[in-house]
Amino acid sequence: MSGREQILAEIRARRLAQAPKPQRYSAPKIEGDLVEAFAKRLSAQHAEVRILNSMAEVPEAVADVLRARNMAARIHLPSDSPLASLALGGVEVRGEPPSAFDAALTVAPFAIAETGTLAYPARKVEPASWHFRPLLEIAVLRASDIVGELEEVLAKLGTLPSTLNLVSGPSRTGDIEQTMELGAHGPKALTVLVVKE
Amino acid sequence: MSERPRVGLFVTCLVDLVRPQIGFAAVKLLEQAGCEVAVPATQTCCGQPAWNAGADSDAKDIARAAIAAFEGFDYVVAPSGSCAGMIKRHYPEVFETDAEWLPRARALAQKTHELMSFLVKVRGVTGVPAGFAHKVCYHDSCSSLREMGVKAEPRALLGTVEGLSIEEIKDPQGCCGFGGLFSVKYPEISERMADDKIADACGTGADTLIGGDLGCLLHLAGRMKRQGKTMAVRHAAEVLADMGGEKALGEP
Amino acid sequence: MTLDPKAFPQAARSALNDPLLRPALGRLKTHFGAGRAMAVQRYGDFESLRDAGKAIRDYAVTHLDELLVTFEQAVNARGGTVHWARDAAEARRLILGILQDAGAKTVTKGKSMVTEEIALNPFLEANGIEPVETDLGEYIIQLRGEPPSHIIAPAFHLSKEQVAETFFARHTALDPKRSLEERNALVQEARAVLRQRFEAADAGITGANFLSAKEGAAVIVTNEGNGDLTRLLPKTHIVVTGIEKVVADMNDVAVLVRLLPRSATGQPISTYVSVMAGRRGEGESDGPRDFHVVLVDNGRSKLIGTEAQDVLRCIRCSACINHCPVYGAVGGHAYGATYMGPIGAALNPGMMGVAEAAHHANASTFCGRCAEVCPVKIPLPKIMRHWRAVEHASGLAPKAITRGLALWAFAAKRPALYRFGASIAARLLRMMGRGGAVRAVPVKNGWFAVRDFPVPEGKTFMAQWKARR
Repeated sequence: MSGREQILAEIRARRLAQAPKPQRYSAPKIEGDLVEAFAKRLSAQHAEVRILNSMAEVPEAVADVLRARNMAARIHLPSDSPLASLALGGVEVRGEPPSAFDAALTVAPFAIAETGTLAYPARKVEPASWHFRPLLEIAVLRASDIVGELEEVLAKLGTLPSTLNLVSGPSRTGDIEQTMELGAHGPKALTVLVVKE
Repeated sequence: MSERPRVGLFVTCLVDLVRPQIGFAAVKLLEQAGCEVAVPATQTCCGQPAWNAGADSDAKDIARAAIAAFEGFDYVVAPSGSCAGMIKRHYPEVFETDAEWLPRARALAQKTHELMSFLVKVRGVTGVPAGFAHKVCYHDSCSSLREMGVKAEPRALLGTVEGLSIEEIKDPQGCCGFGGLFSVKYPEISERMADDKIADACGTGADTLIGGDLGCLLHLAGRMKRQGKTMAVRHAAEVLADMGGEKALGEP
Repeated sequence: MTLDPKAFPQAARSALNDPLLRPALGRLKTHFGAGRAMAVQRYGDFESLRDAGKAIRDYAVTHLDELLVTFEQAVNARGGTVHWARDAAEARRLILGILQDAGAKTVTKGKSMVTEEIALNPFLEANGIEPVETDLGEYIIQLRGEPPSHIIAPAFHLSKEQVAETFFARHTALDPKRSLEERNALVQEARAVLRQRFEAADAGITGANFLSAKEGAAVIVTNEGNGDLTRLLPKTHIVVTGIEKVVADMNDVAVLVRLLPRSATGQPISTYVSVMAGRRGEGESDGPRDFHVVLVDNGRSKLIGTEAQDVLRCIRCSACINHCPVYGAVGGHAYGATYMGPIGAALNPGMMGVAEAAHHANASTFCGRCAEVCPVKIPLPKIMRHWRAVEHASGLAPKAITRGLALWAFAAKRPALYRFGASIAARLLRMMGRGGAVRAVPVKNGWFAVRDFPVPEGKTFMAQWKARR
């Protein structure tokens, strides 16, 4: 008998009763504005959230974020990114994957207000590892792409991508003396630019 | 509320053996609350030590005897969250597969209560004519808290005792380390848990530790005596029944 | 450090006397314990969430065969492979086989308690493959040659000085005069050292917090991002998981993701929740080319249909461990097993046998705090009691205690005898007392090792009651 056969046989032989299919759980609904709720929750998780009025404000915001963090005016952006056409002005744009010291610019197709979470399906135009490689991740998110809960993102996605990364802040660890430090393996900082247009 | 309900007092083996005055205090409180109290002569133990040790056949025999002794009363009241909890929460488990005894176990469980919560929630007692001019701290046993849901009632009653003030300990959810046979099987771990609880109690500045379960109190008082600590230990029933002037646990 | 659950009493004693362990254990209470309490309060109706989690896991455990088959089909449809391991040895061989086929020499590892359970690392090393732990806590204890002392915070028992000492000793290529005073410096150093290992790894092994049957996905819940770099960079990704981790679909996972971080650390959500569904997509430059899931039984299916079945609902959050007063006194190493605290006490006698893990089920006061905080409402003390009953019925319980108990039970069933015995005992104890307490019986162990016994009044209640009436 194969391992598969034997394990399944054991389970079937031993089982007594079967529990019923549970009712769908309804999480507490978000009161008020989704953008506000999203920004509040993500900010509480050690990320920076900036609200912009239009895509036109993105280049200056990117430059400002880099300046504020004492980082060079250089950003890594996948060459096929939907943001590739954006004129980033005085910021140098590099197409190769960011190192552990670099900044990366990414696009979040969805976000979740309940938990302050960016939802990144892995895509050709934006490799999944970019959310983990750099020192700083700057994410661009349209306000209209913020939904209430994870279940809504799953419904919108339909079929799952190869990897779906749900990101709710910069990388952190409490593994030394239960005290939180940022930048364990993933980015030490995360800034989200929420664009209202 | 019925006139003069018949209450069977489940005195508990520890109270019977070590500190009978708790039993008399319970009788006094129940009679003050308008109950007719009987003490079935055949009671011995609820069977918890056997049940917790996995000695299931003994536990079942003892539990059957307890059910038979007490099922005729309107209520069964014990001055202990632990023993009341055994009957209320675990007797139905003991007889889970027993068609004859399961309904009897459930029926008994339905009418079994810890003393202080019985006085407050069933008899509507709002105060006691007792005096105890001391600053006290209160120890909630795990079974009182988590099996019987008793937390507010002891405080409500103690709050009406003349001269008594309660200072809450920092971690009321924490186990004192008694755990029945655990205290003899793993004495050093039990000791550490007791010391943490005692440090917490001493930190309140109270001169008396009061609780609702004699097992916990014997363990804590015994440890404090070994450490040479002077905080007095009493069962809540004694203080509520105005017997606070008698010797405390282990007092020479 | 050898792991022996039978050595629990000695190991516990040692732990109680370890001055470095106490502050670490205190931190668990103030950080994780307080964190959970705050998260529960903020959520609102947390009870309904626990009920929902319990129902989802109950459905899964009682439909385990069906869901595992559905899971396998979904993984296959996405070009992945599912392997079934009956026990630890088979799991190790299967994993080695996959790695050898892939020609892997170095493997990065995301945190996986199952790989601890099956003792994977030493086996890989013995076969010429280097496993590199990447979760910071796991990495630290790997360098120290210690087992984890907690299921989500494996190195919580160490001080930052101990971590610095280890980094100085093992990161020999770095400047010995550098400062590792600050926690931040330790984290940054690990980040730099491990980034090189991530890039160079031939394969990555992760665990799974959940398996979603319908979509054929494995889900990991982390804060560091190491699990993701483990999956995304190498060409082979292996998920090693217990068979009981499967749930019906991603909507079920979404509910459990609300429960797990809150119960574990008090976070509303962990920094990264990663849904890993097979190989890299068409044209993608990140992600594995080969995706494998190794399903490990190792004694889990044996628990189905028994009084311990509910333990299979466990989502490995560690809430029970964080709130257990016994674990809070002795820490994790004392248990001498992969799983410790209340979940260990409920699982180990089943998976390792009662003779091996009896102490785990016995070293509990049944205070019930674990069951109170369990996100999926496992009746942990009830299951521990079940193992005690098995131990008793098999004649394995220590004779001194069982004989004493049997004698006492004999009397308890005979009221007249009991009355007589109790009266004698009360009088005897009173006579032995000095200054209000009995200090010792001939052998100063058990109760008297650490306590006195307050002297009884001398006459039992029942005797006095009879006299009065």
